[in-house]
Amino acid sequence: MVVIKNSVIRNIIRIGVPFLLMPAVVAVGVFVFDDKSYAFVSLAVALLSCVLFVAGFEKKRTGTGRMALVAVLVALTVTGRFIPYFKPVAALTVITGMYLGGEAGFLVGAMAAVISNFYFGQGPWTPFQMLAWGMIGFIAGLFCDILKRGKLPLIIYGVFSGIFFSFVMDVWTVLWYNRTFDGSMYLAAIVTALPYTVIYAVSNVFFLLILKKPIGGKLERICLKYRL
Amino acid sequence: MEIFKVKDLNFKYALGTEKAVNNVSFTVSRGEFVTMCGATGSGKSTLLKLLKREISPVGDKSGEILFMGHPIEDMENRDSAAKIGFVMQDPEQQIVTDKVWHELAFGLENLGLDNAVIRRRVSEMASYFGIESWFEKSVRELSGGQKQLLNLASVMVMQPEVLLLDEPTAQLDPIAAADFIATVAKLNRETALTVIISEHRPENVISVSDKLMALDHGEILAFGDTRETVAKLTGNARFMEGMPAAVRLFSGLNLKGACPLDVSEGRRFIEDNFKNDIRELPKKLRERSEEKVLEFKNVNFRYGKDLPDVIRNMSFEVRKGEIFCLLGGNGSGKSTTLALAAGLKQAYAGEIRVFGKKIREYKAGSLYRGCVAMLPQDVQALFIGDSVKEELQEVKFKPDMFPFDLSPFAERHPFDLSGGEQQLLGLAKVMAAEPRLLLLDEPTKGLDAYAKKEIAGVLRKLKGLGLSIVFVTHDTEFAAAVADRCALVFRGEVTSEGETRQFFSENNFYTTAVNRMTRGFYDGILRVREAEEIIHLNGGH
Amino acid sequence: MTEYSEYNPIVTFVYFLAVAGLAMFIMNPVLLTVSLLGSVVCFCLKRNKGEKANVLIFVGLFVVLALINPLFHHNGVTVLFLINDNPITLEALAYGVTASVMVISVLFWFRSFSALMTGDKLLYVFGRFSPKFSLMISMALRYIPLFAERSKKIKDARRAMGAYEEENLWDSVKGGVKVFISLTGQSLEKGIITADSMEARGYGSGKRTFFSRYVFKKKDGIALVLILLLTAAVMAAKMAGVLDFSFYPAAEGELFSVWAVGAYACYGVLTLLPLMSEITEREKWRYLRSKI
Repeated sequence: MVVIKNSVIRNIIRIGVPFLLMPAVVAVGVFVFDDKSYAFVSLAVALLSCVLFVAGFEKKRTGTGRMALVAVLVALTVTGRFIPYFKPVAALTVITGMYLGGEAGFLVGAMAAVISNFYFGQGPWTPFQMLAWGMIGFIAGLFCDILKRGKLPLIIYGVFSGIFFSFVMDVWTVLWYNRTFDGSMYLAAIVTALPYTVIYAVSNVFFLLILKKPIGGKLERICLKYRL
Repeated sequence: MEIFKVKDLNFKYALGTEKAVNNVSFTVSRGEFVTMCGATGSGKSTLLKLLKREISPVGDKSGEILFMGHPIEDMENRDSAAKIGFVMQDPEQQIVTDKVWHELAFGLENLGLDNAVIRRRVSEMASYFGIESWFEKSVRELSGGQKQLLNLASVMVMQPEVLLLDEPTAQLDPIAAADFIATVAKLNRETALTVIISEHRPENVISVSDKLMALDHGEILAFGDTRETVAKLTGNARFMEGMPAAVRLFSGLNLKGACPLDVSEGRRFIEDNFKNDIRELPKKLRERSEEKVLEFKNVNFRYGKDLPDVIRNMSFEVRKGEIFCLLGGNGSGKSTTLALAAGLKQAYAGEIRVFGKKIREYKAGSLYRGCVAMLPQDVQALFIGDSVKEELQEVKFKPDMFPFDLSPFAERHPFDLSGGEQQLLGLAKVMAAEPRLLLLDEPTKGLDAYAKKEIAGVLRKLKGLGLSIVFVTHDTEFAAAVADRCALVFRGEVTSEGETRQFFSENNFYTTAVNRMTRGFYDGILRVREAEEIIHLNGGH
Repeated sequence: MTEYSEYNPIVTFVYFLAVAGLAMFIMNPVLLTVSLLGSVVCFCLKRNKGEKANVLIFVGLFVVLALINPLFHHNGVTVLFLINDNPITLEALAYGVTASVMVISVLFWFRSFSALMTGDKLLYVFGRFSPKFSLMISMALRYIPLFAERSKKIKDARRAMGAYEEENLWDSVKGGVKVFISLTGQSLEKGIITADSMEARGYGSGKRTFFSRYVFKKKDGIALVLILLLTAAVMAAKMAGVLDFSFYPAAEGELFSVWAVGAYACYGVLTLLPLMSEITEREKWRYLRSKI
């Protein structure tokens, strides 16, 4: 019973979400609620992209070894979020993306967000954090060759991901509070969040530079040794 | 009914040069309890894994493995997973989920069973194993022994025909190990479960096993009825290392005939065959140095304000050049004592002096420079690099200071080393700070007899270099072999202490097997070698 | 004790989704006030022992959020006073207060949510849709406390061999990073053992089921239907425009029309469901106990 039900539901999610639900969400957002309810739309889009990604992951066959490694990396990343101020969350996500592929990178970022929020507090921001960190890991997977090449690409990507994370979270904060996008308020949010953005960028670069070699090396060795 | 039939099995690891399993053929029938023995690297672990398709190592394989008449390669995925159960060495890392109930259900979920069936099987298993009371718990609340029982239960819930166990008690303390083996033996007796277990300390399982398989360099040296196989192996020094004391004694005396297996048989064997006109070996007097290197005076410690004392009024002293051993059960406080001596924890009352100076007065890490160093229970906690060479470079290790040559391993990865080699690497790293007092927390945990001998040798050499050593162990045999003085820790106190021979002679239970075997017949005999000696002094056979 | 938490996790999950979702997207001052009251009641009822409400932080946040809007938005017809030639208007202030009521009430809803939806329960809800994802979450949840213990051990081990210094900040950072690298190496190596243990027990051998100890009882069905009906009613009111209220340029919209009051009532019942269930369960228990 449960099995059939599950697969049906999963198929609905897989096919239904991109083709029907997403436009439907936008339509609901525009017509049902205020015509300016960007907050609702953005939240729904963030949630659904995560759902979509998980559905894709669910469908694929993943080696057990890879799964275990990703679970370990998620737990390490969550542990890393407890370090005050300078957090290696994005750096670990990037390193995972570089050495285990974009999908693993997305999973580590997204899962670390959900799980760490059990300790730091869940909220409507959770899907955005999932998406932001997830994307940081995913994009690292796409550009892994360039990122592995030298320090400069790594530094650039570290800074970029700090700004990207801040950007996504600020946009959401303003949308949530203000319901429509508001330039001056967004600017204010950017300015108040500037110290955090700087800390994100600096800690990303710092941790990427010192962790890339040892952790990347360990990941490479394990993948080689156990043929993952 | 034949459960396993293995024919001409050969196996070479993908990156290996030698065959790990060499021309092996054997049969195991339903309900048999088979013990595999052999040194690390003898191929017993590889052979066991080859019997379990899901975790078979990668490499060249030839030959045939039949499970209940069918090649294991042809089995259905789910049959193969369920019918051949496998329990590994590391209790912690085998656990997949975070709750006991979920762990028990994990295998059944994989088999695609529905909720009602899982519920029934899980509750039945929990009742049989007597683990109902922890059903709701998080796995992290369990002790090591409980974790390994949970692993066993999580495999048994899948109703296997055969249970393969790869050194399942290596990480457990003696009491938990005995419990675990008793549970496996009970399953074997009560449910006709076939058991194949590899053990680095066969002495724990030999009395319950029907058959013994001796492996060396990937070959079967002997396989058959336990008693007969043991008899065949006597005289083979390598195999005798891990055997029960009675067997080692029998072998050491070069005797033929029925070999005693356990303490009571050994006792009868000695009384029936030898005289005891001379009851004691001549005493060797040992000078005790006057210099105190470690001193505990009425030390008290607890983990939190409102928690009970873990260490209460502990007092003892260690003199220069001594190997001092702290023995005791789980939770007696012996590891905490070591952490206090290493300055990792602070006592709230009493005084700890290291080389005559109060431990609090060592400022800013000076305690760890040329003074004290500690080897932790889990040596892997010391590893950080990707090769032995890197590990040693990290601490600026100078090879001439360490009485063991690590250069053959230089390029290997620390995690690819055997347990004994890892222990030696850890010891080398710790020794790099040139300590004068070395603290070791269970240095023989998980090691086989050969590795233990190696460690014992290194410790004696370090002592010869003028080092003082304090170690904590559960292992009475090891303590008797290397320690100059021993102390028993019970509920946070030292309850008895003395020179090793005297210490064990005064204990009735907490002593070596040879001592229990010779007690009242000879005096102060702790080790097999001493028993042989006194038997010879009494005229031998 | 907290009887509402005894409902099937799906019910709890849908409840919080509905009650917080409605609050987040319906900008109606009365409805949001109801939400704030309900969320505080629920929080007081359900919070974990020892968890303090941090009233001061919430009050502070409330004030800040309420004041941000008028400082940035100057539309609105009722000018209160001028700051730097910029008018501070009553409408903008009203909007700010409403928005901060919304934010604070959502924060409270989520705190109750976190207290009630433990990892176990959330896994139950998601496990049916995504067994693999939730298994990984379960594994990660197991690893987190394990890694905390492990890193403590590594730190101690390194300190006791003189390889962990903390005389200055840079040394501590370096030491911390080394502990983390060592933890990573060890944990990745050991992760492979877990993978073996999973495969040995048939992981990946075919379709997996999801075992859970929660059952969907009749009372769960009733509660779920009730939640959905109330939610639908409020949504319908919103769609019909009954709850529309605009702040600019001047406050406009009838807050207390009959239909609007009906919608508030529905939402009010929804927010008070935990309290009501708690009371009925308590009475039921008292009755049952009297018969023991």
